[in-house]
Amino acid sequence: MFSLDKTITVIKRELKDKLLSKTFVLMTLLLPIFMFGILGFQTFLLTRDTDEGTKIEVVAENQDLLENIRSSFLERTFIKNNYYQVAYSQKNRAEFDEFLDEKRPELLSGNLTGIIYLPNSSLENKEAEYYSKNPNNQALFDKVRGMVNNALVNTYFKDRNLSPEEVKFAGLRAGFNTYRISEGKEAEEEGYGNLIASFLFTFLLYFSLIFLGTMMMRAVVEEKTSKIVEVLLSSCSSKDLMTGKILGTGITGVLQMFIWLLPVILVITTSIFTLPQDFNLKISMGMIGYFLINYFLGLLTFLGLFATVGAIFDNEQDAQSGLWPIMMLIMIPFFIAITAQNNPDSALIQVASFVPFSSIIVMPARLTLVDVPFWQLLGAVVINLATFVGIFILAGKIYRVGILRTGKKPSWAEVVKWFKYQY
Amino acid sequence: MNALEVKNLTKTFDKIIAVDDASFEVPEGSIFGLIGRNGAGKTTTIRMMMNIYIPDSGEVLLRGNKVDHLFKDKVGYLPEERGLYKKSKVMDILLYFAELKGKKGKGVQKKAEEYLERFELLDRKNSKIEDLSKGNQQKLQFISTILHDPEFIILDEPFSGLDPINTNLLKEIILDLKKQGKVIIFSTHLMDFAEKMCDHIAMIDHGKIILKGSLSEIKSKYAQENISLNYEGDISFLNSHPLVQKIEDFGNTTGIKITDASKTQELLKLLVDNNVNVKKFDANDITLHEIFISLAGKVEGEQLTAGVTNV
Repeated sequence: MFSLDKTITVIKRELKDKLLSKTFVLMTLLLPIFMFGILGFQTFLLTRDTDEGTKIEVVAENQDLLENIRSSFLERTFIKNNYYQVAYSQKNRAEFDEFLDEKRPELLSGNLTGIIYLPNSSLENKEAEYYSKNPNNQALFDKVRGMVNNALVNTYFKDRNLSPEEVKFAGLRAGFNTYRISEGKEAEEEGYGNLIASFLFTFLLYFSLIFLGTMMMRAVVEEKTSKIVEVLLSSCSSKDLMTGKILGTGITGVLQMFIWLLPVILVITTSIFTLPQDFNLKISMGMIGYFLINYFLGLLTFLGLFATVGAIFDNEQDAQSGLWPIMMLIMIPFFIAITAQNNPDSALIQVASFVPFSSIIVMPARLTLVDVPFWQLLGAVVINLATFVGIFILAGKIYRVGILRTGKKPSWAEVVKWFKYQY
Repeated sequence: MNALEVKNLTKTFDKIIAVDDASFEVPEGSIFGLIGRNGAGKTTTIRMMMNIYIPDSGEVLLRGNKVDHLFKDKVGYLPEERGLYKKSKVMDILLYFAELKGKKGKGVQKKAEEYLERFELLDRKNSKIEDLSKGNQQKLQFISTILHDPEFIILDEPFSGLDPINTNLLKEIILDLKKQGKVIIFSTHLMDFAEKMCDHIAMIDHGKIILKGSLSEIKSKYAQENISLNYEGDISFLNSHPLVQKIEDFGNTTGIKITDASKTQELLKLLVDNNVNVKKFDANDITLHEIFISLAGKVEGEQLTAGVTNV
């Protein structure tokens, strides 16, 4: 009963309807703006000092230590600019306890942000004490940790006849420069680029699967409630209709994704844009190709599911409430993919990049972060293809029964019965 | 010759028999009425005729051959509950529906404009559907039903919601289509309407065909044993008379069913003899409505338990 001509007619309408719609144009343009906006806003929040006017007291038991702290603090611009107001004093434990009692009202009122106390024991174990109404002030610790560390190191090594270079070395923290090892290539220094790209891909997949899926579901509910479907089915079979709708939306989705990825493609194929070394992207056109194929298959699969939910219910509220199983299939892989950024080679990620449904979201994230053997990529595509075919057959059965049903909201048990119907 | 033959169609939904062994014939060039009240099984029958539903058993023959999906291109279907894509434009939707039926190109566009003109909608061809009045949307839907020049036109309650002017326009076009040799199938619960337009009918009740055939034959058959009477006086003596099978009050007229069609004159004499003032005594007229009540009313008593759901 499948008719290619009719399917193509439906596809053409879907494309015309979607590509020219305001929603599509707006979404395609606004999403990148929105994403960069979020990124930019976050960076803005992180770089902007929101702790202007912080007032702290630094108290050390050891006079030398106090002097070292004072001098290393005074080198910093945020102290010089009076961004932070710091008072320094030397007190032993008993004096400090008294001092603390005295300062308690000021601490409680917030006039004094906090008191850092460095007892003599800190010269053995590098443990400082911090007293405040809000003792978990990570931003403050991040700012002063280095300086306190330097002061402690300098004081500790003061009488041990070490050269300033040696003391400086002792004060350094260990860091990691990351290199990616891949077949056939020399080890390359890796920036944050791929980490960001992996997050970007995961987010785009998550977002557009839900966005296009919900749109699909609404369209099916609309056809059903407005009874257009009855006219349509007097012209074509439910299979033509469903295939056409899914392919039409699928093509729209891939086109949209391609537009979103254009900046990435331009970065890796041309020299119009160059990224700072830290953000260097190690992405090939092959990966972009894989990403788009994977997305197309995943989109078709999920659109099939969303269309089915739309066909089961005859109003949007009911349909929304019937969406949760599909949402789980998108959200769980999404969170797994996010954790991939910590360790992309963990067993969980490896397995999740092959499991039907989750493969669609996890594999691209994994591929962006580590080298995945070609057979594994192929395997994932085959699995996704099989999932798609399975879902398509299943969805087709529910769809053709569902779209002509109206009235009472069916139970899941009833829906299962529909499989057996001869329609 | 029959254009369509429906043979022993049966369709069950969840143990509810929606259509039960229905058979009828739609002759070539006729206006055919599928008549029955809401939920009788009309829509399910039509859906099976158009291959939307697969029957549990039975078949539909198109000029002797089993219908297949190609039949869909030859049918124009106007469902009772109408709908169009609200955001689409008038011309776009006409061309889309025609293309789904396999018709596209300049010819269709020209024809669409002709129809729009005839329905006084040409100036709205680039409007969005949601900006049209309900009446205009119905006209548009009717155009989309016939634009692809179908051989068979299936109309489900086509006049509901139309004003008198458009009703006439639609009737005119339907008669036009009949002249062109199209087969027109109505599904309706309005007996008066079916009586005026159809030349063949099938009556369906609780999924069963209870009456079928040419309307004039059916009427003359039932008219002979059904007398419609307007009178003054008392006719209660007829209640137990051996000549009378049944008396029914239809409001303006009283219908009397007699046991022997050849004895109408005896009944008239009986009335006159009993001093009943006979205003009208018609042994040659019966409405479809009366036939339906006399058939379906009876059937209902027997089958009250077998509810039929319209799916």
